[in-house]
Amino acid sequence: MGASSLIVLMIAAVAFSGIAILISKFVLKATTNKQKGEPYECGIPTKGPSWVQFNVGYYLFALIFLIFDVELIFLFPWAVVVKQVGWLALVEIVVFFFILFMGFLYAHKKGALKWM
Amino acid sequence: MNITQILFWFLSALTVFSALMVVVSKNPVYSVLWLIFTFFCISGHYIMLNAQFLFIVNIIVYAGAIMVLFLFVIMLMNLNQSSEPKKHRWLRMAGVVAGGCLLLVLVAALKNIDIKKQVAETNTGDIGLIGNLGKVLFNQYVVPFEISSILFLSAMVGTVVIGKKE
Amino acid sequence: MNALLLTAVFGVIMMLSSFLLTSKTAIRGLAVSGMVIVLAANVLEMMGIVFFKIDTKDMIAFDRFSLLFNSIVFISTLVYFLLSARDMEKVGINYGEYFALIFFVLCGVTLSSSFHSLLILFLGIEIISIPLYILTGSDKRNLKSNEASLKYFLLGAFSTGLMLMGIALIYGATGTFSTNGITTSPTSALVIAGMLLLMFSMAFKVSAAPFHFWTPDVYDGAPTVFTSFMATIVKVAAFIAFMRLFNDEFGSLQSRWQLLIALITAITLFIGNITAVFQQSVKRMLAYSSISQAGFMMMAIFAMNADAREGLLLYSAAYCLATIGIFAVLMKLKDYSFDGFNAFAKQQPLLAATTTIFLLSLAGIPLTAGFLSKFWMIKAVAGTGKYLWLVIFAVLMAVVSVYYYFRVIQAMYFKEGDGQTIEASLPFKWTLVLLAGIIVLLGVFPNWIIYWLYF
Repeated sequence: MGASSLIVLMIAAVAFSGIAILISKFVLKATTNKQKGEPYECGIPTKGPSWVQFNVGYYLFALIFLIFDVELIFLFPWAVVVKQVGWLALVEIVVFFFILFMGFLYAHKKGALKWM
Repeated sequence: MNITQILFWFLSALTVFSALMVVVSKNPVYSVLWLIFTFFCISGHYIMLNAQFLFIVNIIVYAGAIMVLFLFVIMLMNLNQSSEPKKHRWLRMAGVVAGGCLLLVLVAALKNIDIKKQVAETNTGDIGLIGNLGKVLFNQYVVPFEISSILFLSAMVGTVVIGKKE
Repeated sequence: MNALLLTAVFGVIMMLSSFLLTSKTAIRGLAVSGMVIVLAANVLEMMGIVFFKIDTKDMIAFDRFSLLFNSIVFISTLVYFLLSARDMEKVGINYGEYFALIFFVLCGVTLSSSFHSLLILFLGIEIISIPLYILTGSDKRNLKSNEASLKYFLLGAFSTGLMLMGIALIYGATGTFSTNGITTSPTSALVIAGMLLLMFSMAFKVSAAPFHFWTPDVYDGAPTVFTSFMATIVKVAAFIAFMRLFNDEFGSLQSRWQLLIALITAITLFIGNITAVFQQSVKRMLAYSSISQAGFMMMAIFAMNADAREGLLLYSAAYCLATIGIFAVLMKLKDYSFDGFNAFAKQQPLLAATTTIFLLSLAGIPLTAGFLSKFWMIKAVAGTGKYLWLVIFAVLMAVVSVYYYFRVIQAMYFKEGDGQTIEASLPFKWTLVLLAGIIVLLGVFPNWIIYWLYF
């Protein structure tokens, strides 16, 4: 087992999907027409380029999400070792999260988590 | 060549290829997608080194959160394929020379390190295991860990100051 | 340790005050009293009273040098708050946050002045940099401020990347983060490459040529009140970090980096001084002047002896106080060009006199702190007995710098003009007079600072 099973799995996955696509390619007779390219019951066709400028508001959320995401990562090794390190680890993480809770409180009170 | 080595070289080639595609792609959104692909390839390397924590961080933080930011920036600036300004040829040459110099220095530095001739440490390496990392982080590196919360805090204040509509 | 914890705590308090307190006077009062407390706690630590004993596993070393430097920085920040805190109101609505960010920067300053581990150096430099990117762009409606912030952020992030790469290479070569000096295989290409990367990134942070290109644009684009903070306190903090890094970690390799540092010093002196001569705006002139002063401070990195350590502390005090004073006066003016200072002496004789003292100190005229600090630098370089051309070059460049500093004095006293009407409160004037007094006193009794290094 180990890495060899991983590579067998990878090859199997690629082969499975590849063979399925190949079979459908050979067996079916493909037709193309204008109707086929339309979004069927998935909303109205777009007019003009679909690349539009995003609102800055999204960015604020993305940034705050990123900061909390990075913080959360630290919880993971902590959870693994908290029993071994003992109460000291508990104190450490409580201090860490208290400081960050202050940041959360600040963002909340400032209305940064409200939409616009 | 055993199977891990094949995997290693395959992943390495894929990483370099996708990293090149990040730079070569004209469309910035494609660049971001290739960058995500690069991150996944590098995560594969982490797994082979048995560094599970780095693997998770790379997927969750880099390929997840930071790439979302990248995409937002691109959408925010409304970059189009055609809007990229043409750079002067000498400027490009200067960039190539500067980058090449750095490459030369790094290659010179890395060429005489003692390479252990081991490309992967699946199931054997223990340096990147989450438990070991946690033990070091919460015993030896507590002070930097707590200080990093101040770094996050200042980033958060900065986000609100810059991003919040007045 | 006192100062480190208290600056972080006051950063959080100021952050919370931004929505708890509505009165701007209350926020300002809180910030000033917080600064006084931090300063007092740091002075107590210098006397041996430590409030919190935390085992840092030898990652942070609060020695006499770093504690003294922290005190200088806190005094400068206190003066800065007293002189310029009112001007922050004009920048934007986030008044409390500006103070919070400044306290976070100070937290980073205490870290980077007392690190004993490359990890702490990185954290310190980052905690200094990130709030600064924000403060640079805090004037959100101003395109120049936005441009400055973006430029600073991109280049700063790039140089931080270089620093991380350098730290990684050093770690790869030595197997440890702690800065006990390179003992294993000093000739290894890994060590040299790491050292060069660290040197370049630190040269960027202190805006030494040829890594200075961001400085004029960023200092010019940022709101003037924050330029004052960036150009003084943050710059000298980066210098202390630079000195600690190259003293502790790369001290044994001095013969390898000395020529390179000497070249950087000479180029910085040349570019800073010569370009400053051609500036039309006083704010931009001060940006170039900060580059040229960085050139003088680089001489301490070059020499790296006891004189250099004393001199750098003296230089930080002299440079910070004088530049903060000039910026405080500059902020009161509406026109930042040299002509804006025309007939300033007739309208505000007291302000003009204090500004003259600050400018004389920056130019290095005797009887001011600026003269003695420059003297100490030159003495330090001469003490190494090598590269004496650097000494001659530095003296020449100091002579050039007299030209652009005296241009302001000339405009104030000898030029006719309509004179701008500016309002300066009485406490503001007295603080400036006090500041000028400190600069003259330090110019006569430099031992008041240096004594603390050895007692």
